[in-house]
Amino acid sequence: MSQSATETLSATGSFTPEVFAAHLASVSHLPAWWLDRKREAWDRFNRLPLPKRTDEFWRFATLSGLRLDGFSLPGSVPAGSLGHSPIGIVKSGKLVFANNRLVASEPISAELVKQGVIFETLQNALLHHGDLVKAHLLAHAPKLGSEKFTALHTALLNDGAFIYLPKGIELADPLAVFHYAASPGAAVFPHTLVIAEQNARATVVDFFRSADAGTHFACGRNDLIASHGAQLTYVAAQTWSRETLSFQSNSTVARRDARVTSLNLHLGGRQSRHESHSQLAAPGAHSEMLALTVAHGSQEFDQRTLQIHQAPHTSSNLLYKNALLDQAKTIFSGLIVVDPDAQKTDAYQSNRNLMLSDEAEANSLPGLEIQANDVRCTHGATSSRIDPEQEFYLQARGIAKEAADELLIFGFFEEVLSKLDHQTLHDSLRDLIKSKIKKL
Amino acid sequence: MSDVTETESLEPPIADTADNPVSGIDQTAGNFSYKMDYEFDAGTGLSEKTVRYISSVKKEAPWILEFRLNALKQFLAKPMPTHWATKDLENINFDKIRYYLSSGQKPKRTWDEVPDDIKKTFERLGIPEHERKFLAGVEAQFDSEAAYSNIKDIVSKQGVIFVNSTEGLREHPELFRKFFGKVIPTGDNKFSALNSAVFSGGSFIYVPKGVKVAQPLQAYFRINAENFGQFERTLIIADEGAEVVYMEGCTAPKFSTSTLHSAVVELVALKGAKIQYITVQNWANNVFNLVTKRGVAHEEAEIKWIDCNIGSRLTMKYPGVVLKGRKARGEVISIALANDGQHQDTGAKMIHAADETTSNIVAKSISVGQGRSTYRGVVHIPKHLKGCKNNTECDALLISPNSRTDTYPAITVRGDRNSVQHEASVSKVSEEQIFYMQQRGLTEGQAMSLSVNGFINDLARQFPMEYSVELKRLIDLEMEGSVG
Amino acid sequence: MSQLEIKDLHVSIGEKQIVKGLSLTVRSGEVHAIMGPNGTGKSTLAKAVAGHPSFTITSGDVLLDGKSILVMQPDERARAGLFLAFQYPSEIPGVSIANFLRAAVQARLGEGEELDATAYYKRLYSKMDMLQIDRKFTSRAINDGFSGGEKKRCEILQMAMLEPKFALMDETDSGLDIDALRIVADGVNALRSTNLGVLMITHYQRLLSYIVPDHVHVMWDGRIVKSGDKSLALELEAKGYDWVKNELVPA
Repeated sequence: MSQSATETLSATGSFTPEVFAAHLASVSHLPAWWLDRKREAWDRFNRLPLPKRTDEFWRFATLSGLRLDGFSLPGSVPAGSLGHSPIGIVKSGKLVFANNRLVASEPISAELVKQGVIFETLQNALLHHGDLVKAHLLAHAPKLGSEKFTALHTALLNDGAFIYLPKGIELADPLAVFHYAASPGAAVFPHTLVIAEQNARATVVDFFRSADAGTHFACGRNDLIASHGAQLTYVAAQTWSRETLSFQSNSTVARRDARVTSLNLHLGGRQSRHESHSQLAAPGAHSEMLALTVAHGSQEFDQRTLQIHQAPHTSSNLLYKNALLDQAKTIFSGLIVVDPDAQKTDAYQSNRNLMLSDEAEANSLPGLEIQANDVRCTHGATSSRIDPEQEFYLQARGIAKEAADELLIFGFFEEVLSKLDHQTLHDSLRDLIKSKIKKL
Repeated sequence: MSDVTETESLEPPIADTADNPVSGIDQTAGNFSYKMDYEFDAGTGLSEKTVRYISSVKKEAPWILEFRLNALKQFLAKPMPTHWATKDLENINFDKIRYYLSSGQKPKRTWDEVPDDIKKTFERLGIPEHERKFLAGVEAQFDSEAAYSNIKDIVSKQGVIFVNSTEGLREHPELFRKFFGKVIPTGDNKFSALNSAVFSGGSFIYVPKGVKVAQPLQAYFRINAENFGQFERTLIIADEGAEVVYMEGCTAPKFSTSTLHSAVVELVALKGAKIQYITVQNWANNVFNLVTKRGVAHEEAEIKWIDCNIGSRLTMKYPGVVLKGRKARGEVISIALANDGQHQDTGAKMIHAADETTSNIVAKSISVGQGRSTYRGVVHIPKHLKGCKNNTECDALLISPNSRTDTYPAITVRGDRNSVQHEASVSKVSEEQIFYMQQRGLTEGQAMSLSVNGFINDLARQFPMEYSVELKRLIDLEMEGSVG
Repeated sequence: MSQLEIKDLHVSIGEKQIVKGLSLTVRSGEVHAIMGPNGTGKSTLAKAVAGHPSFTITSGDVLLDGKSILVMQPDERARAGLFLAFQYPSEIPGVSIANFLRAAVQARLGEGEELDATAYYKRLYSKMDMLQIDRKFTSRAINDGFSGGEKKRCEILQMAMLEPKFALMDETDSGLDIDALRIVADGVNALRSTNLGVLMITHYQRLLSYIVPDHVHVMWDGRIVKSGDKSLALELEAKGYDWVKNELVPA
């Protein structure tokens, strides 16, 4: 088969100039510089081709699944129709978006507002904090192969969450944002931007959900910017419908002595592409990149990461674990780059795949490009099945095979979940995983 | 020889002009003189004429000529693999290369012209006098009749066939044709296609059923008049239950006027057979060394590649094993040393195609000065296989602040009855370690050597004794040079 | 008869002054002990004299037989007869004890002189036997996976093989149980001679019951504040380091 898999696919699908024009008209009240950026991005989306088989960044991915047809920018839906179930954690604030629009919220306390914390929609921020937003919005695009889709995101982005944490602020409880796709064929563009100033501390949680079982298109982006000494924890839990095509691109910038932990839970979608980029920009910076994926049926989860060390005395640690069932497929490609001046870098990367069926397929491409010599870098990738010794041990204690396997699978995930320093969040993620596994 | 029908026009001797086919060589190595012999001059550049010429000089059967011509077409059609490989490949000028030379044309230089550091290396490595001249390009032929005939006797008694590629295909087509070009198809990559068009020299070996060859067979002694080492073609077949060890290359720096070396090595281990292929490569720093090596291991057979890359400007080599039969075993042990101006781009490919097959890769690289070492690996375990295991370990040691290393493995596993483990690390020799050794009286250079030798110790021990001793000495030399 | 003279030495790490004017002379055949609480600069002193790159000598001098060694590289100082038994010996993967020591012994021979392998191994085994190190250890990578006690015994083995003029022993007793301590002490005592000067650095008096010193010095805040004979060690043990602070350090 010599013809490119994507040659028969439309490079733009449902995303026609009319769609863009209508969208642009609907956001004409936003600042001119932003509208210009959108126009540029739209041009780029049209110019860039779909990925080809020879693109290194798309190695092993199923290119024929990148179908952009059959979607539309959805109309608004009332909050009541979402079937929104509370997540049971005490929050500092909440924003709920459905079909790209804000439909419900629980604002932060007046006290926090007085202290300078901003937790608002992106549209409001564009209007009232234009300079702040301009400096950071989409400022650090990962270049891991999805440039065409990040351009589409910028062009059609309607609204999202804007979080600003001023110097020294410490939020005891997390800020939660929900992004729903809530009509058949809905195309949603979730966006979260978090700026943490010196020594700020907070946890932000993003939930990505489908309100119905229809086919959706999700093309999202998040940016975390942590200044001197800031400590950010970011958790994302994705439970899109079985038929959703999803692209997500995340970027983290950690400055001097900042610590950022990012944990992504992937459960939904038909085919999902997730790119995550961590820049260790100044000495003392540390980034922890964690992900958990449960892939079943014929789901495909494609995760590409980059840890880039640009300054001396920085560290990063990546742990991505995948559990694969049925004929599911996962791809992990992670690159650690150490710049020539980034001496005394410690960078670690580990991809562990638990194979739970005969037909599942796990691909790993761990990579290193090291140009400084006084560094410690390791990477590892392991793919194996449930340890028969451990299985037998549990069975010998009277636990039935299915229950034993479930225990072992959760044990497999525990290493990642336990890095979350927040018990209720940890528990609610466990519950999400549990409910997926129970349904299988 | 009167069979030749056409000759290319004569090139003027000597001259360091831009048109000189030996341009691109380090000019400090001195000027060369060569004697031109009309009848064996295929000229420069690659064309159908060149290929026909080579085939006719060797008096090859028509099927071989066809094989070559088909390969030429494929070579010309394929693009350079620069979308994943280094752009340095674009510096190869295919038109300026001579694709076939016989002894009369081999460039020579006088012993005086050999650079001092090369002479010093010979000294340090303890290379025997009579070998030095050959390695340094002062003599075109290695006069090794004595050692060579010894081996010949031993192996012929056991029924082993050990000849060069021309002889192999001419005298024993019934043995070799079956596998020739099957392990590595012509179109596998641009350089296997090139080799398939212009190959010459190399070893064709057949080991009969159940024969275990006690002595390692050495390519060294097989170099004869015609063999330039440029486009060698090797095919080793170990029949059921047979065992053979083959060694090529040497730690001593090898002089070459040709800037392109593109060899192809095919190994076939039939049921229960074992083949071990050991290479030590130390080509001069102007050489592009692009090699395709692959083995097919049948049921319960074992293929082990032990590869050491020290020289050349750019080496691209990814020894591979196709694990075709149940319980087959494949192994790649690799040591790479990249110094200033060098790029060692090596790795391994393990393709599992049967149940209960195992593969093991251990790769250690050392980057010194501005050297760059790259590891590329492929491990592939398709679905419906069970009981397959792979273990990969690749470690890089960076010596100088500007040394560089990259690692790009690609691992695919299907099913829940197989397991793969890959670990890689990058580090440097710690300051504490160096200080500890200095406090015991070792100079910084000696401390570095010891650490580096320690780093590769486990792998170096898998080489035959004489190689590992030379290897250690070579590393000592390289390390001494690296410490300020 | 040799002499190691430390003259008014000031040592710092980066900006921080650790040793603040220390003077001490050790002659061949003498065993000195420096005691002091943690953080007072004892290890710094030993490492700085050996030439560790992390430390800067800001003033003062160290003379070996009248010649300043401060301009010498660590390996030159070693070959001149200085030995440092490390508190935390380095692990060197892939380098066996046998090969490492061979290299070190060879380094001291003149140009062109070859090491007699048979004689070398004979000596090595006899020292190993004395230190109760299993002969199988010769092929093990040095300190790689060794217990604390094994590492310290390995340090003394090296000292025995390299025959230095002066040995600085940096907290050799730390992490050792009584049995291990005894073996190490016996090893050191076996090396005591009129050709060897020893400077032991220790926090606890315990070691000094086994390796009895001729002179004991108390270090406080980067300087020697009191010197005496072996009874000073016992006094210190009885009264504790607070006594030093209260009685000996000028207010």
